[in-house]
Amino acid sequence: MTATQPQSVFTTEDLLTGCQAVSHGVRLADVDVIAAYPIRPYTEVMDYLSRLIANGELDAEYIIADSEHSQFEIVKHAASVGARAFAGSSGTGWMYGFEALVVAATDRLPVLFLVGNRALDDPGAFGVEHNDALALRDMGWLIHWVTTPQEALEHVLIGYRIAEDPRVRMPIALAMDGAFLTHSQHVVKIPSPEAVKRYLPPYSLGDRVLHPDNPISIAPQANEDWVMEIRRQNWEAARRARGVIKEAYQEFNAIFGERYTNPYFDEYLTDDAETVLIGIGTVASPGRTAVRRLREQGHKVGYVNLRWFRPFPTVELRDCLRRFKAVGVIDRDFAHGSGDDGGALLHEIRSCLYPAKERPAIVNFITGLGGRDVSIADAIKMFQLTEQAATADHLDSYVTWIGVRE
Amino acid sequence: MIKRVEVNYRGIFQKNLAKQIGGDIVLIASRMGKVGFSNGRYSDSPERNGIPCKYFAFVTPDLSEEELEAECGAKLDIDEADISVVLDDTMCKGVEPWGWYGVRPINEKIIAGATMIVVSRREPPELLKWIERRPYEYKMTIITGDASLAGLWVNKDDLTRERVLGAIAGADPDLISIEAVESYLNEKTKDPTRAQAARAAYDEARQRLYTVKPDEGIKWPYVIPELPKWNHFMEAAAVPAVPRHFEIGPRGQSRNEQLQRFTTRTERPVVRFDLCTKCQLCWYDCPDECFDPTPDGLYDVNYDYCVGCGRCAQVCPVKECIVMVDELRFDDHKSPWEHYKRDKDGYIAWAEEKKGTRRVVYPFVTGTGVAVHEGEHVPEGQKTVVKKQDKLEVKL
Repeated sequence: MTATQPQSVFTTEDLLTGCQAVSHGVRLADVDVIAAYPIRPYTEVMDYLSRLIANGELDAEYIIADSEHSQFEIVKHAASVGARAFAGSSGTGWMYGFEALVVAATDRLPVLFLVGNRALDDPGAFGVEHNDALALRDMGWLIHWVTTPQEALEHVLIGYRIAEDPRVRMPIALAMDGAFLTHSQHVVKIPSPEAVKRYLPPYSLGDRVLHPDNPISIAPQANEDWVMEIRRQNWEAARRARGVIKEAYQEFNAIFGERYTNPYFDEYLTDDAETVLIGIGTVASPGRTAVRRLREQGHKVGYVNLRWFRPFPTVELRDCLRRFKAVGVIDRDFAHGSGDDGGALLHEIRSCLYPAKERPAIVNFITGLGGRDVSIADAIKMFQLTEQAATADHLDSYVTWIGVRE
Repeated sequence: MIKRVEVNYRGIFQKNLAKQIGGDIVLIASRMGKVGFSNGRYSDSPERNGIPCKYFAFVTPDLSEEELEAECGAKLDIDEADISVVLDDTMCKGVEPWGWYGVRPINEKIIAGATMIVVSRREPPELLKWIERRPYEYKMTIITGDASLAGLWVNKDDLTRERVLGAIAGADPDLISIEAVESYLNEKTKDPTRAQAARAAYDEARQRLYTVKPDEGIKWPYVIPELPKWNHFMEAAAVPAVPRHFEIGPRGQSRNEQLQRFTTRTERPVVRFDLCTKCQLCWYDCPDECFDPTPDGLYDVNYDYCVGCGRCAQVCPVKECIVMVDELRFDDHKSPWEHYKRDKDGYIAWAEEKKGTRRVVYPFVTGTGVAVHEGEHVPEGQKTVVKKQDKLEVKL
């Protein structure tokens, strides 16, 4: 990202963790209803939001729920009666709220939820793993990841704008790596409320708002003679979202400076690359360092950091990745029992590249599970294995676990 | 170039302090035109009283934030420290933040030429008798004072924060300069005493800078556990129970050898067995079951497992019978009861010498400071009911 934004739209700087940055995004989005229930690493968001409210910086209903399920239900209902609403969770807490999560999608309610990625217990584990957010992948949610506190703040604003667009009106999950991002303090530029107001229109659910002046019934019983058409409607909204996402970033760049060249993913030194790794989240850090080090030795390598998972940027990624000789897909998740026993991202990438006439070799790395470090040496090893795959006649396995004790 | 700072702190009591120091370093470096970020070691459970934890700050004069993030972010721990701050000198005896980590030396991450900054009332050579020797030279300096142990979510504003910043500037002016520390504190707080405290610590750190020679220190006595391969432990991470065993006498109870937790301790209970009324309250109330019943009806302390919570001293109804004493006054974990049985007079004299005259109480809940009152040398066997104080007189 380059910092070419005009001075006036970013009025202050502060040292913020990823959680605190999200909270400032919620403040600037002037959210009306917040429901909260603690689970690490999400907890700092609710702590910090309550502080912003106590300090008079944010005027919102703040409801401590008795569980994640109630928390998500409260927010869902608030959204249906015309409130911009926010909630969040992590790991098993996120999973406990799943019934409420899936209906937020079928009810087409544009809430924004933070998921601070955490491994699914048992055994009790705090570290980052992406399976919690990925569990939503087929449920009709928009899902995206950020990699810095600055991006986290900005994607609360971008997220609400996309989700609430009348052409979309879908719930959106903002995911970020637990610990490495949620709890890392960085200097963040905070946009002015005026600039945010120009970017993010007031919340509106249009003719679907549940209000005495707009008497409607929502979430009715639908039998076999209706459900398929409802799914088709949902899909249409998700299709429209692809265009809305592009618009939302263009408009963001116009107001806040040229911060995002590609909404869906960032490419790092890929112009002349022959081998690339693609991953989600903070694994980009060792990935990009490895690129710099390997380039010093003459390797033509690059890194692709995927931001949007739903909708999946099929066409854009196909155009990007088909030009390389080999692609190594990094999964900070594991799709148990799936094809080739790989990760969730592997299958998306393979599927997206299959129609390409010239296909790169594709291998998969399962790494960083449960918050395990992915070191620069690990990333270099992944590049080497991917380079070898480009010229190999035969691979015994397409999937390699990196960093497991064996 | 990247400078890495680690702040070793005691769980919960110093959590806010460590986090603030990490953030301050980034903001001060930012005023000097550098780039930085700060995070905590996430595997820590810093809500647990006294457990050794770490906070980090990373600063670079010449890399972009993205490059700094790429080199230092997304990692649980650092590989090397240019500055290592130790907010409580009792951590010099070793740190074990969680099970299967082992008791590790406090200077594990210190590299050649780096500096350890310790809040202590001791000199570096006194501390080095607990610290592992390194094959290279590094530096150590002292901020004179007691550990700043505050309450649960309370930050004790006793100028330790400012003094640590001053000492860091003294140890490594390239990281943050004392002028930048002063202007930051003056601008942020409008209170000149804060910048003055930083400057005084800066001067002290420079004056007391001690060069630790290669191989100065001890051979590390603790074994670092080797974590098992994925197929070398029970499925679903089921954990075999510690075999049940009990017999009367020191160390007669079976305990979990994988996590002894004594590095959590800042103070240990010293027991005057001659004053004990055998009321059992210490044994009954100890949250970690550290007291072993003995054949003569007394209760021995197992210092491998005591976390120094002070509960026993709090419930003991006899004056001067159980007193919490600075952990650094002790060299081993041997059974005090065996010492007492072997040499009654010698033990009482030893215990009184260790106890000294200061009785230090940290009011953890309010976190407002530390209460210090005079102790009393009670003659052998003179059992007096302790007068519980309704209100602690606390001074900052």
